[in-house]
This record gives sequence, structure tokens and C-alpha cells, in this order.
Amino acid sequence: MHENRVSRLGTALVAAALAASLGAPLLAPHRADQRFAGLLNAPPTRPRLVDADGSVHAPFIYGWRLSNRLEQRYEEDRSRRIPLEWWTGGAVVRSSDETSAPLLLLGADSFGRDVFSRLIFGGRTSLALAAVAALSAVILGGLLGGIAGYLGGTVDEGLMRATDFIMVLPATYVALALRAVLPLVLPAGVVFALLASIFALLGAPFIARGVRAIVRSERRLDYASAAQALGASDVRLLLLHLLPATRGFIAVELTMLVPAFIVAEATLSYVGLGFPDPVASWGTMLHDAANVSVFADFPWLLSPAAAMFLVVLGLNLLLQGPSFSRHVRLPM
Amino acid sequence: MTRYLARRLAFAAFLVFAVSSASLILTRLGEGDYVSGSLGIEARRETAAQARARYGLDKSIGEQYRTWLGRAVRFDFGNSLLYDRPVRDLVPERAANTAILAASALAIATLVGLPLGVVAGSRRGVVSGAIRSTSIVVLSLPPLLTSLVLVFVAARTGWFPIAGIRSAAVAPGGETLDFLHHLILPACALALPLAAVFERLQAQSMGEVIGEPFVLAALARGVTRRRIVWRDALKPALRPVTAIYGLVIGTLLSGSFAVEVTTSWPGLGNLMLDALRARDVYLVAGCAGAGAVFLACGTLVSDVALAMVDPRARE
Amino acid sequence: MIAAKKLADVPRPLHRIARLSKFACKIAWYGRVARFFKGSDSWPEGQLLTGHLRDLWTLGRLAALLCLASACGRATPPPPARTSSSSAIHAGGELVVSVRTEPRSFNRLAARDSPSDLVATLTQARLVRINKKTQDVEPWLAERWTASEDGRRVTLSLRQGVTFSDGHPFTADDVLFTFEAAYDSRVASVLADSLQVGGRKLEIAAPDPHTIAITFPTPFAPGVRLLDNVPILPRHKLEPALRNGTFASAWGLSTPPSEIVGLGPFVLAEYQPGQRLVFVRNPRYWRTAPDGTKLPYLDRVIVDVVSDQNAELLRLAAGQLDVTNGEMPSESYATVKRAADGGRVKIFDLGVAMEADSLWFNLKPGAFATDPRARWLQRDELRRAISMAVDRQAFADTVFLGAGEPVYGPETPANQKWYWTGTPKTPHDPAGAKALLATIGLTDHDGDGLLEYATGAPARFSILTQKGRPRLERGAAVVRDELKKIGVTVDVVAFDGAALFDRIGSAKYDAIYFRASRTDTDPAITPDFWFSSGTAHLWNIAEPKPATDWEARIDELMTRQVASLDEAERKRLFDEVQRIFIEHAPVLYFAAPRVIVATSSRVVNATPAVTLSPLMWSPDTLAVVH
Repeated sequence: MHENRVSRLGTALVAAALAASLGAPLLAPHRADQRFAGLLNAPPTRPRLVDADGSVHAPFIYGWRLSNRLEQRYEEDRSRRIPLEWWTGGAVVRSSDETSAPLLLLGADSFGRDVFSRLIFGGRTSLALAAVAALSAVILGGLLGGIAGYLGGTVDEGLMRATDFIMVLPATYVALALRAVLPLVLPAGVVFALLASIFALLGAPFIARGVRAIVRSERRLDYASAAQALGASDVRLLLLHLLPATRGFIAVELTMLVPAFIVAEATLSYVGLGFPDPVASWGTMLHDAANVSVFADFPWLLSPAAAMFLVVLGLNLLLQGPSFSRHVRLPM
Repeated sequence: MTRYLARRLAFAAFLVFAVSSASLILTRLGEGDYVSGSLGIEARRETAAQARARYGLDKSIGEQYRTWLGRAVRFDFGNSLLYDRPVRDLVPERAANTAILAASALAIATLVGLPLGVVAGSRRGVVSGAIRSTSIVVLSLPPLLTSLVLVFVAARTGWFPIAGIRSAAVAPGGETLDFLHHLILPACALALPLAAVFERLQAQSMGEVIGEPFVLAALARGVTRRRIVWRDALKPALRPVTAIYGLVIGTLLSGSFAVEVTTSWPGLGNLMLDALRARDVYLVAGCAGAGAVFLACGTLVSDVALAMVDPRARE
Repeated sequence: MIAAKKLADVPRPLHRIARLSKFACKIAWYGRVARFFKGSDSWPEGQLLTGHLRDLWTLGRLAALLCLASACGRATPPPPARTSSSSAIHAGGELVVSVRTEPRSFNRLAARDSPSDLVATLTQARLVRINKKTQDVEPWLAERWTASEDGRRVTLSLRQGVTFSDGHPFTADDVLFTFEAAYDSRVASVLADSLQVGGRKLEIAAPDPHTIAITFPTPFAPGVRLLDNVPILPRHKLEPALRNGTFASAWGLSTPPSEIVGLGPFVLAEYQPGQRLVFVRNPRYWRTAPDGTKLPYLDRVIVDVVSDQNAELLRLAAGQLDVTNGEMPSESYATVKRAADGGRVKIFDLGVAMEADSLWFNLKPGAFATDPRARWLQRDELRRAISMAVDRQAFADTVFLGAGEPVYGPETPANQKWYWTGTPKTPHDPAGAKALLATIGLTDHDGDGLLEYATGAPARFSILTQKGRPRLERGAAVVRDELKKIGVTVDVVAFDGAALFDRIGSAKYDAIYFRASRTDTDPAITPDFWFSSGTAHLWNIAEPKPATDWEARIDELMTRQVASLDEAERKRLFDEVQRIFIEHAPVLYFAAPRVIVATSSRVVNATPAVTLSPLMWSPDTLAVVH
């Protein structure tokens, strides 16, 4: 059926992202912070099977030769075929001449680092952070909103005002103050935990508001009073009956929070609360790529945006696909 | 109703003060202050001390906060260190620019996003898939990139001015048109992610509502599909969107800074960024307060709209 | 009701036709729309569109293609690239300059950011001017001057018949007033420090309304060069503010433009907050071109506030901007080159910059009191080893994309007058660096490739730099990678400006990588960097007395250099200062960029120079084609 195909596509995309992240050390030909000095903003090296003469070989690439350093223009060095090596050096595929003609599947960035490797390693960091933060936000916001919507009255008001306060306080100021009290060099794990908690706090109010609205109206429906009449406790009613009604809303919010958190990581790193330099992340990669010359001359630097799109699409299809199948289809 | 409104307004006022105070204190806690940023490295210690004394930055946080609070209750929010103008004049000026931008962006997003969401949620197939994919593309792009793409397109086509709010030489009488011409690009840049959010939420909610029995019942009675989609199913489906509408208004202000920076729109977002960079504590407090005002209005609007749309939530 | 009656008056056949046609339209409309709304269920598999919808689809695709084509094509046809081959410079026209932030004030004595400086250059004038191209002092408001034998007194003759932009005559009183305001403690002017020699003020006297006598507290070789900093402000406008102590906030951003009066080529006409400033020609400007034409050539100068570098670049490439107030970063070169090839932009390559980005360590005695790293972190050998370990050519290639040159000392060859031509070029020698580090106890004890001190503590320190400046972040990253190769671990932490300056000022850092530019090429004008008591003595700010004997030696040499009136002697002394500096390397320099600036093709008679404001330092001689 159409819906199953759609949700299966979503599952496939998300699974691919997960697999790439977990298998990053194997899949990536280089380390995330490995610089190739002469290859700043080099275009992607295309693996080929057929060379200029028309003869077929094992997959190979041509190296890049610098034709204009200041304008960062390169031309292919057709004189030398550089075959690819498989399953050597701890990676699935590599070029046989790593020092002068590395395999750059998605080109190199302005420091000369392999974009493909940074994409995979960065995906690990960013997706893990976004997933943890989004899930925490959902749990926190769902609980808050559920309780507020269920109990109503002063509790409702109090919780909603608290979420108002959190929402309006700009996160950058909090990050700024935090940076002052934290030690100078923060290990990546500490930064991860900090960012995840800040994002969870930032995302919870949106979830809480929507959940509260839905719970408030669902509460008056028949099935809720029926459950209550049967003796369900408040907690059971809330958790098992009312909150599941917010599933659709939460699914959509999740797919909106994930990209927002990935980007927010770059914003917070501006005030100093970001990952240390050798750690790649999609947010900072995109931030560095937000440059006019990139669009015209170095479009491969925008690959994190494409990757983010695929992941978010997959997430969206996965979370929203099944919900269609249960619906009455509008006959025409 | 009036008591409810009065309570909400009172809380809004409290929120504004709370957020301004928090911003002031947090900025003071951060490293560096206005003097170190403006005088740079080469300043003599005495010059720096004199400047700090002049701006009141040599006092402790508590003392400075108390002085500020004392003046703030009389609606005197201090002088911006960066621009040497009263915050009371500077912030509303810029906030008006951002309000116009936010209002137009909201209008565009609603007009574009909601109908698209209804269409996408009420049918299957290519159209729905295309709308959904476009929304996801826009959602997954960071706002910085979206505005940059639009600015780039504007530069290449020459249809829209690239930056600013007004042209240097405007024929008298054509100012409004010139302003609108400058407004389109930033408004679209701000509206796109918003429209995508609305579309996604609306489509999701629409899909759920269409699965309800009352829709089937209406169909059986012979109500046309169009009427069901656009009248009967739409009202309950608007619930989640109205719930976050107010939030969206409130966060549009602070979320607009990426757009404002890229298109040089002299608004509150730009001002906040400059104030933060310069550690201008009074301006920072003022901007945060303005953001709180917007959010308070937004949530009020949202709650009232929710009550209108869904009578069940009216208690 | 009335309408029905009216309708009844219409002859019957028409009536029927009208009703029939309305009904037909209704059916047709509903039919068409109903077909449009048909869901995919009724469409056969694989054929998604019916007949006329297919047409719509094709139309849509065509429309999209057209849009794409026009978007990918050129922008609005560029103005024909006019070359400036014509020798005659036409007066008139307007110039658009972009700045990144708004100026903080119209009062140059109160603000030191570069947009405020630009406003001062446009609207005010100084006693003398340093020609940034030749680095010579030119007469400006002062026609000529004589120095006394001992170098302590200078007498300047002011130009006669000069008036402010509002017609008020310019006299020596205005000069006296300006200096008084600069030195006033209530004002705490940003220029006060730069107008002092040896920490003491100058004495200004006005023997007659067109003569100024300046007495320096100690013999000062550069003499009137010092006066390039100070714009002469009108006494008749600002004296009341000085008297009641509000001078520091006088001429702030809310001042009406008509109040801003000056001796410069332009007058502020309009200020749109957050957007732009508009300047118009000052009809009473005193300067004329060599051929007798009244200056300035331009009618208007518009200073646009463009906060985003991308927008600035796009506008320049599209021809909507004429000049950017600042250098162009190397990353933008490709875009600008393309515009230049299209004839819309002119590029000037001005050679290597005046100074390179600097890496310095915290050499304050006792800064690392309890830290075990104190034993090696402040040693000369560490810095010399770093200088040997970094491949400067690769540094220039990576950080400046090849548009850079290796630099080995505090001055670059761009400073033709003062650069020590005997600067030793430290070779790239990682093995030698490792050997040098071994002499201070940093060796690889456990064979893991990383150096440790004898106690086992790893050789690790942090470099702080400024966030948001790609050149600095890239440079710090390159240093980190180069040092990793010899086994030293470096953490690069980027802060935003205010936090970084705070740390520098309070000496809470291991090392800093930053760009601290000096305002003048003559070292006597920037004593704060060279003297150990100076506030810009970056590695150990404002020492009460010199902490090391090489710093004491430099102090002594610089004191003589400032006072000596013999140019050859001054050069000799400063060469020696550079030698000692490079030997002990308190600050390390790796590479300096080539300065590249771009203007639109409309601009003629541009005089680009290697200075903070490469094109706008001489606004009255700029002209445009029109």
C-alpha cells in the first residue's frame, strides 16, 4: 500500500542515517580534523571506471592540481590514475595516494578537510545531540503540558507562565553567563550534556503548550469520562489515554525540533558554548558554509543541508506515515 | 473575562520585568563588559576605570540592578551605552520595524501555510507529497541559509533590493512603495520556515480530523467534499495551530535575528545582537523586555483564539 | 427587492438568456473545479493527470524553467564598464560606502570605532595629515611649521581665510579648545592617551589667532606627526558642553545634523538610524585640487550600514555599492574577481599588509604561580621552538589562500621606512624545534608521540582567539596542527570580543592569537607597544618596571629613538630594537596577507593605501564617472 511504502521509505532513511553515524570510523576515509594543505575548497573527486582513452579499470580517481590558489580553482590531473583501495587502513574505501590525491567524495572545505568524513562524523554528533535533546524536550514538555491540561486552574496557569518565562529568555544570555563560570577547556562530553539540557529546556515549552491544548479538550470527551467511571486513576488516565492523543502533534514537533537544535548548536557556539574545534557538527559546517561564494563556487559545502533534509524527511515519513493508514479515506 | 484579562496583563508586566532583570544580571555575569569591548586592549587602567565609573559598571551586580530597578519602575530604562540614547527611545523604534516585518511574515505564512496544509492533509498523492517535501526542505534548512538563498536570488535577478529598509533616493510620495519593495525579501525569508511549520501541523491535524466519524457521517448525508474539508473539518483541525500561534508571534521577534542580519533590516533582532556583542547591559535588558512584551501579547492572542476556535476549552 | 424589480424591467428574452448563461457558467465552473478536486483514487494507476491538468502541469514546468533561467542569468544588465582612462576628473555624482556597524557617536573624541572615524574623516579636518600612500606628513589646516633645535617646540602657522561649514571663521582658539577637550578628565577622551608623550600632556599655546605653539614635555622626534589623530572641533558649537561637563555625550547620534559643524569636505545632511548617513558637499571647504578645481569632487557620499558581509559582497558585485570601508577577506576574492572580469568592479592589489596577526604568551611574572606548567610556558625557548616548528609558507597558503607572505618579525616590508632589512628568516625546522624543547625539559618520555615535562605533565596549553573572524580562527588552527606534529597539544578556544579583551586585560590566558593593529608606521607614535610600561605591551601589560633585562634594553633604546632628531640614528636604534625583539620573541608572527581592495568601476582617482581605511582616508579626492 502507498502508506506502507511511504513509511518504509522513512524507516530506510532514518536507518541509513543511524548506520552511517554508527559506522562512521569505518565509512569515513579520513578523520574529521585531518587537513590537506594544498586542497582548500577542492571539488569532489569523482570515482571513475573509464579513463580518457576509453579503457575500463578498477575504480579510480584523478587528483586535483591547483590552477589558481587565490581563486581556489582546480583542474583534474589526468596524467595519473589513482586507484582506490578497499578495506585498508581501517576504512571501507580510500585512495591509494592519500597525501597528494586523497579521496574527497564531497570535496574539501575552506580548511582543506574532507567534507564527506566531516559529514558522517558530524552527523554522529549533531544527530545524537538533537535526538537526545528532542526526546528530553518531548518528555519534559509532554508531562508539563499534560499535567497542566489535565488539572487546569492554578496549576495550569502557573505552569504556562513558567513556560512563558523560559521561552522568552534568550538562550544566548544564559549561554554567555554559563561560559563565564565554566572552565576554559570543556571536554566534548560535558558540552554535549550541557547543550542537550539547554535544548531540552528550550524545546519543552512549545510541546507543553500544544499538549496542554489537546489534553484540555480531549479530557471532556466520552472515552475519558468512561475510563474515569471505570476507576482509572488520574495518572493512568493521563498517561494511557490522554497523552497518546497528542501523538500526532508530537510527531510533527519532533520533526521540527531536530533541525532547529542542529542549527541552534552553531548559534550557541558563537557565544563560546560549542564543541571544541576538532569535533565536527552539521550546525557549524552549515554556519561556515553560509557564504555567498559558496553558492556560486563551492556548492558541495552545502551537503549538510541536504543530509539534514534527508534525515528530517525520513523522520517525518516514519512518524507520520502510519497515522494515515488508520484514517477513513475521503471517497471522491 | 475582564478579570482574566487583567490577570494576564498583570502577569505580562511581571514577565517583562522578570526577563529584563534576568537578562541584565546574566549579561553582567558574562565575561567582559562594555568598557573592555569598546576601549580595547590599549586603554590605560585609569581611563578604563573612569569610563566604568561613568557608566555605572564599577558597582556590584546587586547595586547596579537595584539602581536600574528603581529607575525602571518609573519607566526610565537607562541610557544605551552603545548609542548613548535612552533605551526608551531606541527600543520601540527598532521594535516597530521588527513588528512590521513579523506581522507581514506571519500574514504570508498563514495565507500560504494553512491552505497548503489543508490541501496536503486532505488528500494523498503527488500534490500532497510535493507539498510535504517542500515543507521539509524549508524546515530542515537553517534560517540563515534560507535568507542567504533569497538574498542571493535577489542579487542575481535584481528584482528586489538586497539590503536595507529604504533606498537612498526616493521620490516623494513613493516612500510606502519603496518600503514595501524592501519588505518583501525579509518577510519571505522569515515567513518560509513559519509557513512550513504551519503547513506540517495543519496537514497532520487535518489528516486526523478527516478520520473522525463525523466526516463520514457528513459525507453520507451528501455534503460536498469541498465543504467538509474547508468548513466542517477545518475548525477542529485548527486547534494545534492556534495553540502555538501565539508562541510563534512571541518567538518571531527573537528568531528574526538571522533574517535581519542577512538583509540589514534595522530591527530588534539586529539590535539585540549588537547589544550582546557590546555587552550593553541596559540595551540588552530593554530588548529582552520588548521580546517579553511580544510574547505576552502573543500568548494572550493565542489563548483567546483557542477559546474561540474550540468551545470545549473555554472554561 | 429593488434589484428584482429592476431585473423585471429588462425585456424578457434577455432575461432568460441572462439566467441561462448564469446557470451554464455555474455548471461549467462547478464541473471544472470538481474535476480539479478529484482525488487520486479515481485516477488510473500511473496516470496522474487528466487532459487539461496536464496542460497546466506543462505550463507550470515552463514557467518554472523560465524563472530559473532568468534567475540563473545575469542580474539587471550591468552599467557599461566605464574605464577611468579619461584623465579629466568630472566633479559631481555620489558615492556609496558601506560600513558594518553604525557609528557610536559623531564626536570623534568620544568614540574610536571605525565608522565614527569615517564620519570624522568626512566632516572634520586636522592640523596636518599623513598621506597614507607615501607615509609623509602633509600640511593640512596648518600651512607650514618650524621645529626648534631641541625638538621640543613646534610652531605651526594656520591657514588663513578658512571657515567652518556654517561660516564661522577658524582660528587658533578652536585648536586650543580641541586639545582642552581631549585632555579634560571629565571627558575621558579616547584620544587622550595618543596625545601624550612619555605619559605627559603637550602644552598648547596660541600667540596669535593664526599661530599655534606646541611644547612637548620631552624631545619628540616625530613632532607634528602626532597631530594626525586629532580632528579640530568648533569651539562655538561645543564650548558650552565642555563647560558643563556633558562633552562626552555631546554630538551623539540624536544630534540634529545641522549642529554637526566641521572643516571637512562634507557635511552631514541626514541620519537614518540603523540604515545610512547621507553627507553632502561642504561649499566652504578650503581645499582645492592642484589644477584649481574646488574640492571635493563628489556631491554626495552615502554611508550605508550593511551588517552582513555576504550582503555587502553581493551589493558590491552587483554595482550597488562603490566602496567598502575595510579590507576584503581572501575568501571573497573569487566572487569579486568574477565581478571584475565582468567589468563591474576594479581590484587593487596593494602588496603585503603593515603587520601580521600575532601569537603571544602570557609573560606576566607569577601568572602561572601554582600551575606546574610555569616552568616551561614562559620560556623564550618555547616560543623560539614554535617559530621553528611552523611552516610559514604553508601558513600563508592556508590562512590567506596564497595571498600572503611569511613574516618573521614585528614589522613587514610594507613599512618601508622602518623595516629592518636584516631580519633573520627563521627556517622551518621541526627537528630543531624538538631539540630546543628538550633543552627546557619537554621530551617524549613514554613514547606516545606527545611531549611531557619531567614530572609527566603533558605539554599542553590553550590559545584564545576571537570568534567570528575566519582569518584568526584559521591561523590558530594551523598553529595547532603544526605544533601537534612536534608533540605539543594545543586547545584553541574562541571567545567573542568583549570576553577576549577582558581576559587579555586581566592576564587570564596561556596564549592569544589576535590581530592588534598599530595606528602609525613610526614606532615613536605607538610607544605603548614597545615600552614595558605601555598599555599595549601585550604580553605583560603596563609593567611597573621591566621584568626582564631585554625589555629594559628595549625601553632604553626606544627612549633614545623617540628623542633623537637624527633620522639615521633613529633607524639604527629601531633596527636594534627589532633584533632584540626577534631574538626573544615575546610575540610570534607567521604570515601577513596581501591587501586587496575593490571598488565599483564607477570610482575614479582612487588612492588606495595600506591603512585601516584603505580608500576613504582621502575622501575629497575621490570622484565617480557619471
